[in-house]
Amino acid sequence: MPYELNRRLAARRPALPTNAEVDTVTAGIVRGAFETICFEVATHVARTATSAMINQSNERNASIIDAHGRLAGLSVGIPQLMFISPLSVRYALEHKDQDDWGPGDVFVGNDPYAGGGHLPDYNVFAPVFDNSGELLMLQAIQCHQGDTGGKDPGGFSPDALDLWAEGLIIPGLKLLHRGKPRRDVMELLIRNNRLREFSGDIWSMIGAAQLGARKLQELVEQYGADVVKAAINTNIDITEKRFREQIKQWPDGDYEADVYIDHDPAGNKDIHVHVNCKIAGDGLTVDFTGTDARPELAAVWNTFSNTRGYAAAQLAAMIDPSIPKNEGLFDAINLVVPEGSILNPPDNKPVVLGAFHPAVEVGEAICIALSSIVPERASPQVYKIGMPNVVFGFRNDGSMWMDSGVDVRGSDASAVQDVDGWGSMCSALGNLILQTAEEGESTFPVRHLGRELTTDTGGAGKWRGQPGTKNIKQLLEPGNASCWMVSMAHPLRGMQGGHDAAPYGNRFMVGTEQEYAIDNAAFNVPMPAGAVMAYQYGGGGGFGNPLERDPEAVKEDVLDELVSLQAARSQYGVVLVGELADYDLKVDHAATDALRREMATSQESA
Amino acid sequence: MSYRIGIDIGGTFTDFVLYDNSAPSHSAVSIHKELSTPDDNSRGVMNGLEQLAKKSGQDLRTFLTNTEALIHGTTVADNALIEGKGATVGLLTTEGFRDEIDLRRGYKEDIWDVRLEPPKAIVPRRRRLTVKERVAASGDIVAPLDENAARLAIKQLAKQGVDSVAIVTLFSFVNPSHEQRLAELVREEMPSAALSLSHLIMPKAPEFERASTTIVNAFVNPRVTAYLDKLVDKLHAAGYQHELLAMQCSGGVMSREFIRQKPIVVLASGPAGGVMGGAELGKSKGASNLLCVDMGGTSYDVSVVKNGIAPAEPGWNWHHRYLVGLPMVSVVTVGAGGGSIASVKSGMLQVGPESAGSDPGPVCYGNGGTRPTVTDANLVLGLLSDESEFAGGSFSLSRKGVDEAFHEHLAGPMAYSIEEAAFDVWRVVNANMTQAVRRVTAEKGTRTSELTMLAYGGNGPVFAGVQAKELGIKRILVPRTSPTFSASGVLSADLLIDEEKSYLRPAGSASTDELAGLWQSLAESATGYFVGAEVKADNIQYSYLLNLRYPGQNWSLSVAVTEQQGVSSTGFITPEKLAAVVDGFHAQHEAEYSYARREEQPEITGVRLITRAASPKPPLGQGKISEQRVCKASRSRRANLGEGYADTPVFTGPKLVPGDVVQGPAIIEEVFTTIVVYPGWKAVLDDAGDYVLIFL
Repeated sequence: MPYELNRRLAARRPALPTNAEVDTVTAGIVRGAFETICFEVATHVARTATSAMINQSNERNASIIDAHGRLAGLSVGIPQLMFISPLSVRYALEHKDQDDWGPGDVFVGNDPYAGGGHLPDYNVFAPVFDNSGELLMLQAIQCHQGDTGGKDPGGFSPDALDLWAEGLIIPGLKLLHRGKPRRDVMELLIRNNRLREFSGDIWSMIGAAQLGARKLQELVEQYGADVVKAAINTNIDITEKRFREQIKQWPDGDYEADVYIDHDPAGNKDIHVHVNCKIAGDGLTVDFTGTDARPELAAVWNTFSNTRGYAAAQLAAMIDPSIPKNEGLFDAINLVVPEGSILNPPDNKPVVLGAFHPAVEVGEAICIALSSIVPERASPQVYKIGMPNVVFGFRNDGSMWMDSGVDVRGSDASAVQDVDGWGSMCSALGNLILQTAEEGESTFPVRHLGRELTTDTGGAGKWRGQPGTKNIKQLLEPGNASCWMVSMAHPLRGMQGGHDAAPYGNRFMVGTEQEYAIDNAAFNVPMPAGAVMAYQYGGGGGFGNPLERDPEAVKEDVLDELVSLQAARSQYGVVLVGELADYDLKVDHAATDALRREMATSQESA
Repeated sequence: MSYRIGIDIGGTFTDFVLYDNSAPSHSAVSIHKELSTPDDNSRGVMNGLEQLAKKSGQDLRTFLTNTEALIHGTTVADNALIEGKGATVGLLTTEGFRDEIDLRRGYKEDIWDVRLEPPKAIVPRRRRLTVKERVAASGDIVAPLDENAARLAIKQLAKQGVDSVAIVTLFSFVNPSHEQRLAELVREEMPSAALSLSHLIMPKAPEFERASTTIVNAFVNPRVTAYLDKLVDKLHAAGYQHELLAMQCSGGVMSREFIRQKPIVVLASGPAGGVMGGAELGKSKGASNLLCVDMGGTSYDVSVVKNGIAPAEPGWNWHHRYLVGLPMVSVVTVGAGGGSIASVKSGMLQVGPESAGSDPGPVCYGNGGTRPTVTDANLVLGLLSDESEFAGGSFSLSRKGVDEAFHEHLAGPMAYSIEEAAFDVWRVVNANMTQAVRRVTAEKGTRTSELTMLAYGGNGPVFAGVQAKELGIKRILVPRTSPTFSASGVLSADLLIDEEKSYLRPAGSASTDELAGLWQSLAESATGYFVGAEVKADNIQYSYLLNLRYPGQNWSLSVAVTEQQGVSSTGFITPEKLAAVVDGFHAQHEAEYSYARREEQPEITGVRLITRAASPKPPLGQGKISEQRVCKASRSRRANLGEGYADTPVFTGPKLVPGDVVQGPAIIEEVFTTIVVYPGWKAVLDDAGDYVLIFL
C-alpha cells in the first residue's frame, strides 16, 4: 500500500545545513536567480520540443528542488503542476546511494504511486553538487506527454481498470550517467511511446534539465554553496512566515465545504469531496476526511501528490501574490488526506482522469470553505471540464490524426469580490495557450463553426462570472469522438451568495434527426463526415448577491448580450426600459428598487 | 546646405538631432532638447525646429527649405492605448467568432493574482457584430457572404457612433473577397468611417493574433493619421517641401502615405528608434553584437542587436495588454528606473514596479516626492551628488527629506542605517535588471559574454558596470549623445517595408509561379511607396524570404531566398532554388533551435519581402583611440561603489578629451548622465568622444 510512502514523502523536511547566514536581500536575489533559471529551462523546452502540446501550449513546468526534496523555486507554468514536482524527486532521493548519484546524472519519474501526478506527466531532473560532492539541489522540468504507451493512444482511458492499462510506469530512472546517455534505457522509453515526436520531446527535457543544472552550478560558484543553501532556507522561512501571518488574520474556526462530481464514467453518481479548513492562530489544517472512498468508483482517483499540489495551488491564489512560491507554502499548513479515499487512492487504481476530477474539486472545495474569510481572493482555480470532445481518424496513408480539443474557449472564469470574471479561464491557467480555428483547420479535417460566449451562462452575482462559450465543431471526414461530461448536475459553484455557473452540456449529430445529448461519456463513437458537435462550456461562478449588483453594470451586460433582459429582471432584479436594438436602455430605478425589495423578501423566506 | 533632422517625442522632452551633410564631419551633428507639448505634440516639434533654425542663423522658412528630410518617432499610438483614448471601434467578423479579443487564447498576464483586472476594452462586445459567411483553409467559399445581414450589422455600428471599423473574417489571408466586399458595404453605409482590413494589416494565421492586431490598428488609426496630417500641414506651411518620414516598430522608417494605410506600425517605435541608433553606433565602433540597456526614469529597456541588426520578429508581442503580431524590434521593459520606489513588505525589500515617475519624481527632485527611489539611493551612496548640476543643468538634486524618507520607509522597518538601506536598494535594482537581461537573452539563445553592452538613458551608465560584470561582459559603450539616442536612431534608420503574404502548402507541392506572383505583388506595392517617398529606383533593395516550419509547429522561420538591388524580378524562383531554401531551413532551424528534422517535409506558410533604402548616415566617429593618458581628478567625494564607502575621484565629463583614461573606482559627471566607473574597470574617451568602459 502506498500510504506509508506518501506519509514519508510528504513529511516536513528540515532546513539545509549551512555555516552561512544571509540577509533577506541576498536571499531575494538568489530567489530571483532561481526564477530566471526556471524561466530559461522552460524556454529551452519551448525552443526545442518537437510536439505541439509542449512547444506551443506552454505546458512546461520548471522547478528547483533542494537536497532535502523541498521546493526552492519555480517559474511561469501551471501552478498545480509545479507544486507536484517535489514528491517524485523525493522518491528518487531515497535511493540516491544505491543508484550512485553524481554530477551529470539526469533522471525521470512519472509513477503516480511514487510521488507523481499521473503517467503523462514526466518529471525530468538533474542534480547539482558542490565541490566536495555534496548534493545541493536539483533542476526539474515537468511536461505533459502526448502518449504514455498505454492501451489507448494519448493515455486517457476512462475504462482503465488499473494503472498498467494507462501506460509505462517509471518510478525513478537514470537516463544519463555522469553526462553519458544510457542508450538501452533511452531506447526502451522511446520504444514504449506511440508518438514519433516523443524522442525529440524527451531529449529536449533532458537538455533543459542539464541547462538548469549548469546555471545553478554557476550560481553556486558565484555565491558559494553555503550562501545558496542559506538563501534557500531563508526564502522558505519567509514564505512560511508570511503565509502564517495571513492565516493569523483569519478568524479561528472550522470552515467546511462539500463539492460533488456528477458521476464517474461508469455511472456512479455524486462523487463527493469534503474539506474542513480549520484555522487556529497561525495554523491551518486542510482536512479532507469525509471525502468519498467507494471502492467501486471508476477513474475518479487522484493521487496523493496531485491532491497536495492542487491544494497548494488554490491556497497560493488566496494569499498575497507577492509571497514567494516555495516549500514554505506546504510548511505553513497541515494537510490531512484520508487513506483509501479518492484523494489518496489504494495502490494501482487508475489515475489519469482523476488528475482532472477530483483534483480540481480539491481547489474548489478549499475556495468555497475559505470564501467567507478571504472573499477578496476567493476565486476557484479550476477547470470543470471532464474531458473535451477529442476526435481522431486515419489519413489515407493509414497514419492517425487526433484533435485533442484544446480549443480557444471561455470556461470557469469566476468572479471574485470587486472583479467580474473575465477572459478565457481562471488565472492559474493563464499560460496555457489554446488552439485557434485557423491552425486547427489547417491541421485536421474539421471546421470550427463558432465559439462565442453564451448569454446568461456566467453565474449571476454582485460580481458576475464570465459566461462559457459554445464550441461548435464539424467533422469533414469520418472519425471517432470521445468525451467525459461532468459539471452538468453540479456546475461550478458561486461564492458568497453568487449564483452557480450554468452547467456544461454537449450534443452530437447536431441538426440531424439523430441529434442527442451526451449524459455521461462517449468513447470512440464513430461519426460520419459532416457530423456536428456542440460543446457548451460552463461559465464562471458569480460572487455576492446579484441583487446588490450595480444596476448600471447590469445594463451594460445586457447591452453586451452577456446577460439577457429576462435575466436582468429574474436574476438581478433590474428593470430596464428602452430598446436593446437601439442601444438606449435605461434603468428604471423605482421599478428596480421595488422588484429588488420583493425578491429580497422572498430570498429571506426561502 | 542640406539638413536631415531626427525628432523623437518623449513624455518630458522632444529630442532633435540635426545632421548637416554639407558641414565638416566634426560639426555635422548637433542636438537639441525641447519641452514636449502633450496636448498637441506638433507644437513642441515646431518650437524645436524654430530653435534649431535660430541656432543655424536662419529663419524657419529658409531652414526648412534647406531641410531634405524630417524623420519622426512618435508615441501617439502608444498614448492612445495607454490612455484608452482612441477611435470608437466596431468589429465585423465571421459568425461565431466575435469574442476572440476577450478570450485571448487563454492568456492572462499573472498566474498568481486572481484580482488582476481585465484590460480596458477597446471594442466592447456590443460593437462586435458577426455576419454569416465562411471561407475554408483552402480559400474556397463554403458559405457566401450574407449581404443583407452585413448591411444590418453596419447600421447597428453606425447607430453606436462607430468611426473606425475593423473587418476580420476567417482565412481572409487566403481569400480576401469577403473582407473586401464588407469594406465596400461599410463605405456605402458609413462613408466617413476609417477601415482596417485584417488581410491587409496582418495577412496570416491565426485569427486571434490577426483580430487583435487589426482591432488595435482600428483603435489608433484616426488619431495617428490626424496627428501626422496636422504636423505635415504645419511643416509644409512653414516651408518644408518633402515627405515626412515616420519610425515604425520594425526599426525602419517610411512615408506618411504608407503609415496611413497601417498606422499601427508606429506603435512602440520610440524604443525601436533607440535600438536602431545603438546598432548604428555599435557598427561604427566595430561592435556588431550588442546588449542595449536603456534606463530612464520609470523603466529599464533591454534589447539585443545581432550582426549589426536589431531583429524584428512577428509573434507573441504584447503591447499595453493587447497583442500586436507585426514584425517588431524586440524590446523588453521592466519597471526599474530612477523613479522606481523602494519599499519593505514583511521584511522583504523590493524596488518597483511602482514608480514616482518624473512628477513628483524622487524625493531629491524636491517636487514633493516622499517615498525613497533608486535615484535617492544613488544620492545617498554618493554616486550622484547634490553639489553638481543634473539633467543638463536644468536643476540640482537636494538631500532634503531623503534621509527622512529612507528612515521611515526602509531603514526603520529593516532596523539598520539609511546607508545600508540605500546599498540594498542598489543591490536589488541591479539584480532585477540582471534577471531581465538573462530572460531576454535566454529567449534569443544568446551568450551574454559574447556581447558588448551599450548603456544609455539618464540612469543606464550608473549601473552598467555592475550588470556587465554579472553577465560576463567586458566592454561597455556609453555614447555622449545618450539622452537623444532615439532621435539619432530615427535619423539613421533605413526606409523599410516588411510585409508578408500567406501561402500554406507543403514545401514539396508549392507552385513556383504562385510564389513568384505573391512576391511580385508585394514588390509592386512596396516600390510604389518608395517612389512616393522620393527614393530613386536604384537605391531600393529587395530581400526575398520564405516562411517555413515543421508540421505541428506554430511559429515559422523566415529563410532568406535572394536579394536584389534596383529592379525587382521574381525569375529566381525555380524548383531547384526552392529545394535549396528547404535545405537552408533545416540548417537555420538547427542553428537557432538546436535540432533539425531532415526526414520531415517542412510546410511553407508564406512569402515575405523586406524592401529597404539606405538613409544617408551621419558620420559617426569610429571607436579608435589614438593615444591614451591617465587623468587625475581635481575633486573627489565619499561614495559607495559596491565595496563600501571610500573617497572616490570625480571627473567632469565635458572637460575630458579623446584619449583620456579614467581608472576605476571613479565617477564621471556628464551633462545628461553620470557614468560610474566601478572598481576593476577603466573608462576611455575615444576619438569620437564616446566612452568605452573596459573591464581589466
